[in-house]
Amino acid sequence: MIPIYRMQYSKEGTARYISHLDLLRAFERAGRRAGLPLAFTRGFNPHPIISFAAPLGVGIAGEVEYVDLELTADITAGEVLKALSSTLPEGIQLLEVRMISEHSPGLMAGVERATYRAVAKLKCQLDQKKIDESIATFLDRTEVWVERKNKAGGKMKFNIRPGIFDMSGRSESGKIIINVELKAGSRGNIRIEEVIEAFQTVNPLPLAERFILNRTGLFTMDGQIKKTLW
Amino acid sequence: MELLDQILPLVQKPARYTGGEWNAVRKDWSEIDLKVAFAFPDVYEVGMSHLGLQILYSIVNNRNDALMERVFAPWPDMEDKMREHKIPLFTLESYRPVRDFDVIAFTLQYELSFTNILNMLELAGLPLRASQRGDEYPLVIAGGPCSFNPETLASFIDLFVIGEGEEAIGDFLDDFRNARIRKLSKKDFLREVVRVPGIYVPSLYRVEYLDDGAIRKVEPIGDGIPKRVNKRVVRNLDKAPFPTRPLVPSTEIVHDRIMIEVLRGCTRGCRFCQAGVIYRPVREKRPETVRRQAAELVRRTGYDEISLTSLSTSDYSPIRSVSKALIDDHADRGVGVSLPSLRVDNFSVQLAKEVQKVRRSSLTFAPEAGTQRLRDVINKGVTEEDLMAAVGVAFQEGWQAIKLYFMIGLPTETVEDLDGIVHLAREVLARGRKAGVPRGRLRVTVSVSSFVPKAHTPFQWEPQAPMEDLKEKQAYLTGKLRDRGIVVNYHDAGMSFIEAVFARGDRRLCRVLERACALGCKFDGWSEHFRLDRWLEAFRQSELDPVWYACRRYDYESVLPWAHISAGVSMRFLAKEHRRALVGETTDDCRAGSCTGCGLCSALEVEPVFAGGEFDTHLPNAVQ
Repeated sequence: MIPIYRMQYSKEGTARYISHLDLLRAFERAGRRAGLPLAFTRGFNPHPIISFAAPLGVGIAGEVEYVDLELTADITAGEVLKALSSTLPEGIQLLEVRMISEHSPGLMAGVERATYRAVAKLKCQLDQKKIDESIATFLDRTEVWVERKNKAGGKMKFNIRPGIFDMSGRSESGKIIINVELKAGSRGNIRIEEVIEAFQTVNPLPLAERFILNRTGLFTMDGQIKKTLW
Repeated sequence: MELLDQILPLVQKPARYTGGEWNAVRKDWSEIDLKVAFAFPDVYEVGMSHLGLQILYSIVNNRNDALMERVFAPWPDMEDKMREHKIPLFTLESYRPVRDFDVIAFTLQYELSFTNILNMLELAGLPLRASQRGDEYPLVIAGGPCSFNPETLASFIDLFVIGEGEEAIGDFLDDFRNARIRKLSKKDFLREVVRVPGIYVPSLYRVEYLDDGAIRKVEPIGDGIPKRVNKRVVRNLDKAPFPTRPLVPSTEIVHDRIMIEVLRGCTRGCRFCQAGVIYRPVREKRPETVRRQAAELVRRTGYDEISLTSLSTSDYSPIRSVSKALIDDHADRGVGVSLPSLRVDNFSVQLAKEVQKVRRSSLTFAPEAGTQRLRDVINKGVTEEDLMAAVGVAFQEGWQAIKLYFMIGLPTETVEDLDGIVHLAREVLARGRKAGVPRGRLRVTVSVSSFVPKAHTPFQWEPQAPMEDLKEKQAYLTGKLRDRGIVVNYHDAGMSFIEAVFARGDRRLCRVLERACALGCKFDGWSEHFRLDRWLEAFRQSELDPVWYACRRYDYESVLPWAHISAGVSMRFLAKEHRRALVGETTDDCRAGSCTGCGLCSALEVEPVFAGGEFDTHLPNAVQ
């Protein structure tokens, strides 16, 4: 059996600026530094078999992200965790490692929902009622159109409203904190930046700065119930 | 960092500015005495590819009394944001303003980065001119290849380190620390530190000019200042410090791999080549050292490629056995070996074939000139037969693209030499067709740069060809080479012109740099940012003529602006080489056993070091 390890990690601090492609390299290099027997693809230009659940935009932190890593030798999950924990670059922290069976569905295919938190300083105090009203007005719309680029580089209109499942907000020590649950994965992905921008266009909050964005979770759906990607 | 989090999402490649890379060193600021900021006057991906940075970073951070942090030139989008939010230039380790450091150390890799130095000083909140920076400001020092003509930066830099930095940086820091304990002023420290070999303090030299603008003399002001500053040389590369825990960037850089320097110096003696003079003598690393460093580097970096670097890696005596050993040691972990800078010969192609697991799409050769006559003038001993043999093997072995480097505007060049370039390119193309490379895949790229006369070379007296001539020659070549499968690209002649001005100019040009910087010149080595019109305006405002600097012939009797800086090679030898060039006489490599009399070994009391082994490098026809 080929040992595949599913790992949960966070990507914060300076690591939030590591791009998706660079993150792949970071895991490969960390694996080599840890002395792990990485498995490689066959072919002319072999590369390690590493796959992520869902790419994270540059600048967005991830609190509970997932990656699958294939090795050529059977090592306990605990040993992998220990070895890799001390070789990942600053800001990337391994939370948990589990060995999964070869027949588990791929990580990427499982992703259906993502939750985010957006935080920004406010120019002035906002009461809860005002926040709730703003969000309610936004969610009351049946359509929220944004502009996206298609593959040919042209612009097209896209309705993101069906992909917004939940949104709530509160203010705390001069900051607004918005939590959102969005459609995610290869069958349609809504970007948090699009939602925030549309929200600010419809119903601008008095912000003193840009929103700092965190992805707080990635989920698959079992009927109507969100489940982690384990 | 909070403010940075607001700005970074708005700029390209934000990881350029965050630090936090693997093996980055963050020391406790309050515990450390000497704080040095290493400043690279180009963008992160370029600066981080520079081995010298890694070497100095490790040497300084290995000292208990010192720390070194890094700063690079912010790309213009980031610069705009920094200015908008009044963020001073900061280092990547501690995000502290560069101004808070004791020493700012610039590396001078190419002349077209000089405006970035000024721009960085300005972003750091420092007065540009050294004379305007009192004791409250950091000391600004510089080193690297361009410090062999330091004059064009003389007004801005407090001191230069001439030559190799591994040992000089320690000597400098010891003196600096000592001066601080004794509470010396900056001025007094500078007068004292010139005792350290290789250190040049431009403010302690006076330049007098003749009526025609040429230099009458350069002389020290006061006693105890050396008349001539000799370059520093590390005697033994095996004993020289070499970083085995280099920084591993989190974002892709230009040379994103392990770099092991296997030899320093090159004695082939191409007459245009500055590196060949300033890095003399040849010193090879022992195979055991290379292997040990490679093993440690693989473990400490996690890179998948080991590049054996030098000015000409196929000249490394034990290259074949060392590269084989490295492949044996590391292939099972998916780590490969690569060889940059190959010579134009069969041996090199065979070597590339054996070593390179991942076949790069193209192989690069540098014949430099189109005819044998001109190749003899520049002492590039490669022949047409060498080139054809090399490309023949390359095509047979499966390479489908060949890149050829040529230079135009070389001394004595005529239209026949340009036709020679056309001829060679077509011959290479014909070889490819004959070898059966599919037409759609076969590609010969002809890359044409313009000759820039450099200090301390046999061609230092030569003028640069006028910019208009260079452009005509470029047009001539592109006009002729329209064959399917041949691609011609050339360097911007304006950029080469400005490069020549600063490569062979004197300290009056500091005015021009200041003006250029004020007019917005920056990242001049990047064609998208280079603006010749602004440069010409800067010269106009400074009342100096760039053509006089770039295109004037120096006499053997002329006092050259860099006459008080010595690379160890005698003027007499350079002049002899220059005369031999003009009559097309070649000079052998001193590797072959006969001393060419360059004077370096006796002047600096050093010797070439060869790692021995199996003499794969047959000299007579083995020339890059």
